[in-house]
Amino acid sequence: MSERVDVFKNGRAVSLEAVLENREWRVAKQEKLEATFKEETVVAVKLNMPGAIKNSPAIQQLFQAGWQLFLAELSTWEIRHLEVFSKRPTGPEGFLVVTGDLTAIKKKAIAFEEQFFMGRLFDIDTMAKTAPDYQLSRRELGFAPRTCLVCDDDAKACAKARRHDLAAVQEAVNRIYEEYFVIDPVIPAWNEEMVKKAATFACLAEAVTAPKPGLVDPLSTGAHADMDVYDFIDSSLALENYFGLCLDAGRHFRGSQLSHLLTAIRPSGRRAEELMYLATNGVNTHKGTIFTLGILIAAYGYASRNQQSPSLSFVQSVVSQMTSQLLDDELAKTVAQADSQGNRALTAGEQQYRDFQLTGVRGEVVNGLQPLATVGLKTLRESRGSRNERLLNTFMALSGSIVDSTLVKRAGDPKVTAELADWVAQFNRLGGANTEAGMRYLKELDQTFVARNLSMGGAADYLVLTAFLGRLTGLL
Amino acid sequence: MEIKQTALAGTLESSDIQIMLSQGEKGIHFDLTSDVKKQFGEDIMATIQSVLQAYDIENVLVKVVDKGALTPVIKARAIAVAQRALDLKDEPNWEVL
Repeated sequence: MSERVDVFKNGRAVSLEAVLENREWRVAKQEKLEATFKEETVVAVKLNMPGAIKNSPAIQQLFQAGWQLFLAELSTWEIRHLEVFSKRPTGPEGFLVVTGDLTAIKKKAIAFEEQFFMGRLFDIDTMAKTAPDYQLSRRELGFAPRTCLVCDDDAKACAKARRHDLAAVQEAVNRIYEEYFVIDPVIPAWNEEMVKKAATFACLAEAVTAPKPGLVDPLSTGAHADMDVYDFIDSSLALENYFGLCLDAGRHFRGSQLSHLLTAIRPSGRRAEELMYLATNGVNTHKGTIFTLGILIAAYGYASRNQQSPSLSFVQSVVSQMTSQLLDDELAKTVAQADSQGNRALTAGEQQYRDFQLTGVRGEVVNGLQPLATVGLKTLRESRGSRNERLLNTFMALSGSIVDSTLVKRAGDPKVTAELADWVAQFNRLGGANTEAGMRYLKELDQTFVARNLSMGGAADYLVLTAFLGRLTGLL
Repeated sequence: MEIKQTALAGTLESSDIQIMLSQGEKGIHFDLTSDVKKQFGEDIMATIQSVLQAYDIENVLVKVVDKGALTPVIKARAIAVAQRALDLKDEPNWEVL
């Protein structure tokens, strides 16, 4: 670990008066919602943040992660009204009006506080006009009182007795954030609808992030004369069903040999390629994505079966086990066979394996898509600014850390990788996508890429994977 | 000094306190509800009374519902309700209080 996580960094301290005033604001808000929606249940979601700093970029990430998951948990009910105030100085909060039974929703809320990895930092209140003064305590519903962040004792008792100093409680918050987002991200077990949407979102997010040097985006078609951003939209939409099939295959896989899970999703992958070509009139927009994201989703599905929330490293090890035979058995054999018989043209990846011993995307999955954790999610988490800026910073960081077989193919020489490293370093020196100079530089690079007909398809695939996991963990 | 209007501050959330000031006869009169009235009732009233005195509020009815608030919270709520009852828009003078 290079540096310690400080969730409270770049936050502004608020006074006790501000906190108390906010409490009055919240109660007034709740009362108004109860009066407007007389038959429904009102839900108020906020964080328990110790100390005077109650909001910061990291605190918002943390809130967003839980809020999204809680919304998904409520998906069986009708949500009549939704309001989120993520930037309030007194801390992010959200309000919901749900058509559903008060007790059932309260139970969901407590279950969320108990089971979600960062649930201890959340405080969810439920109330209804039909049941005024109805106080549902955790105890009445058969749950233990909330526990202290530091010592696991009754939280109220610790607070009353001022048993721990502020630094210790804030450190506990830092540790929870660190374990969830940093050391080994925890991925909640989402339902199929959410996973399909997250995957499609990731494909579309990659397409609209701009300006990406050499790649298709809304500003330029880069070094791809045969396609534009609308092809990417069409093709993303065509793949949604495939993503669901991959998840399903993982969730219901019962074998012991994980390589059989890859075998199981292969027909769906081939069908997805057909659908992509149909949607784009024969242009390859997402072949790499179909391969990598399909495998990642199946692995995640397997790792999250029985409602378990897996860590990223576990998902990555499943990816690796699923694909372990891709290099030795398949790639080497295919290349040797093609060389001796000359009956089939080699793909770009196969050629590069023969000519440069580069293993390309196959090598990436066999190694469990390592840059996803070490570069992709890390940059997405640490990067600030708009989503476009964060995704551009993530894209450039990824492009500088992998050997991109699309790029090597286009350049015809693996030395292009070293050149790319210089470009990425220059982009970072200029302050990345958060500065005007950095954005200008990306546009210049785009010109260079177009002039030399270069493209970073491999990095784009990694951006899709990162956006997908960013969605599932709440970073995006 | 008399208050100008009935005023309310605070909520009925746990560890908060709700204070209402309304026109009273002579002196400061309390109507206190609290789970910890026995142990802390006197302290709670003393804290509120000292704030009211700092604002020169003399004749007032003080209705208090305490939900286990700590002293700084009681004081802040008392200041807020006094400001509202006197219709003062300025920032309270924290040093005096």
